[in-house]
Amino acid sequence: MSISEQLKKEFSTFTFVLIAVAIVLNIVVGQLVSLLKLPIFLDSIGTVLVGVLAGPWAGGLTGLLTNLIWGVISSPVAAAFAPVAMVIGIAAGLCARYGLFRTWWLAIISGVIITVFNSIVAVPIRLYMFGGITGSGGDFFTAYMLALGNDLFGSVVVMVFTSNLLDKVVTALIAWGVVKAMPGRTAARFPGVQSVS
Amino acid sequence: MEDFPSGTTLFVEGRSFVHALNPLTKLAWVLVAGALAYGAPVRTPQAQWLACAALLVLNCCLLLSAGVALKAWGLVWRIMLPLMLFMLPIHGLLYPGNRTVVWVWHGLAVYSEGLVFAGTVLLQIIVLLSASLLFVLCTHPADMVTAVTQAGGSPKLAFLVGSPLLMLPAMRARASTVQAAQRARGLDSEGGIFRRAKGLFPLVKPFLLGAIMDIEQRAVALEVRGFNSRSARTAWREVADSPAQRWARWSMLAACLGVAVYWIVVKTGLCA
Repeated sequence: MSISEQLKKEFSTFTFVLIAVAIVLNIVVGQLVSLLKLPIFLDSIGTVLVGVLAGPWAGGLTGLLTNLIWGVISSPVAAAFAPVAMVIGIAAGLCARYGLFRTWWLAIISGVIITVFNSIVAVPIRLYMFGGITGSGGDFFTAYMLALGNDLFGSVVVMVFTSNLLDKVVTALIAWGVVKAMPGRTAARFPGVQSVS
Repeated sequence: MEDFPSGTTLFVEGRSFVHALNPLTKLAWVLVAGALAYGAPVRTPQAQWLACAALLVLNCCLLLSAGVALKAWGLVWRIMLPLMLFMLPIHGLLYPGNRTVVWVWHGLAVYSEGLVFAGTVLLQIIVLLSASLLFVLCTHPADMVTAVTQAGGSPKLAFLVGSPLLMLPAMRARASTVQAAQRARGLDSEGGIFRRAKGLFPLVKPFLLGAIMDIEQRAVALEVRGFNSRSARTAWREVADSPAQRWARWSMLAACLGVAVYWIVVKTGLCA
């Protein structure tokens, strides 16, 4: 299938609405899970869902737009991490295309793969734009790694990977669970769903 | 598209010169301010600080003239304070390039290299932040959406930028409903970490599934209203633009490109 055919299949009206809804899900789900006070933000659950249901390009677009809109509604700093969110969607879409969302344990592997790609893009942004520190709890970990004598690059790599691993694995698991729980009538409308079941 | 619920975004109503600028012009300024803050084509750190300071002063004047200085002041502190509190001590004490001690307290040494590094990064962030606040605080969300289509972007892209902002309040309300419902059914939000983790899926699943089930209705509603039509759309809202602004935008983009080319040339040593 050529790229333009693939894009046409990926971007139906249904997909456009899915992307718009998923952007809102990304933004609102944090408010929902804050009730449980867990070290999980799930702020890319919508992005991963679109990647799985509609494909990598739609997933990437969801992530990118989520962070740009976040920049407009709460803090421009979020917009700086838009490329990171985009890569999460692309990685999730590719994982689903190659059958890595078929079972729960494959979904865990997808979560790890997403974290790897997430780190590859997030580390340079953190390092060169923010000097390695972003004013969050994870900075204590970066400081600890620095105190052990690591260089700034290594400290930030380890910090980004570990702080995202749990969140992305849980996100992938929940996305898998939601796709499995979707009624067949709705699921059949999404172009990517056959590579999951 | 016209009646965006106020309070969803950071936008502040106003009639200033900055408010009247085309959104794309403001966006181009964010780009050029970022490019100059992080990569001003100068060789010494002092010159770079000077460039950053000049940009910062300019942004502050623009924020003042737009009448959004008070809101910007609050936002800048909210974002910069945690960054400062982490960055200055961590780099001052632990920055790998630390050599020169400026201050010793009970065996803890603060080094100048780390402080300088942290200060430079903070200055760069604040320049970029103030420039983006000019865009965010002074651009009506509907104008952003219209500017996307007027600049030749697809109306579908405009839909993706605009409709999440419209859906946000309803979805927030739904999140509270799901929270209240699951709590009423005995969801444990106070117990140990494993008991709370058990509540995660029952809390998130109905919220996500409910939203996904709505998609079909929304998609049908859009299709019967000509979402897939290829003809050009007419807009109620006109976004002001002028030849001068168009010219300014192109020169700002050229400046960004110039900065990129300068650093490629310097780093690869083409003109050594």
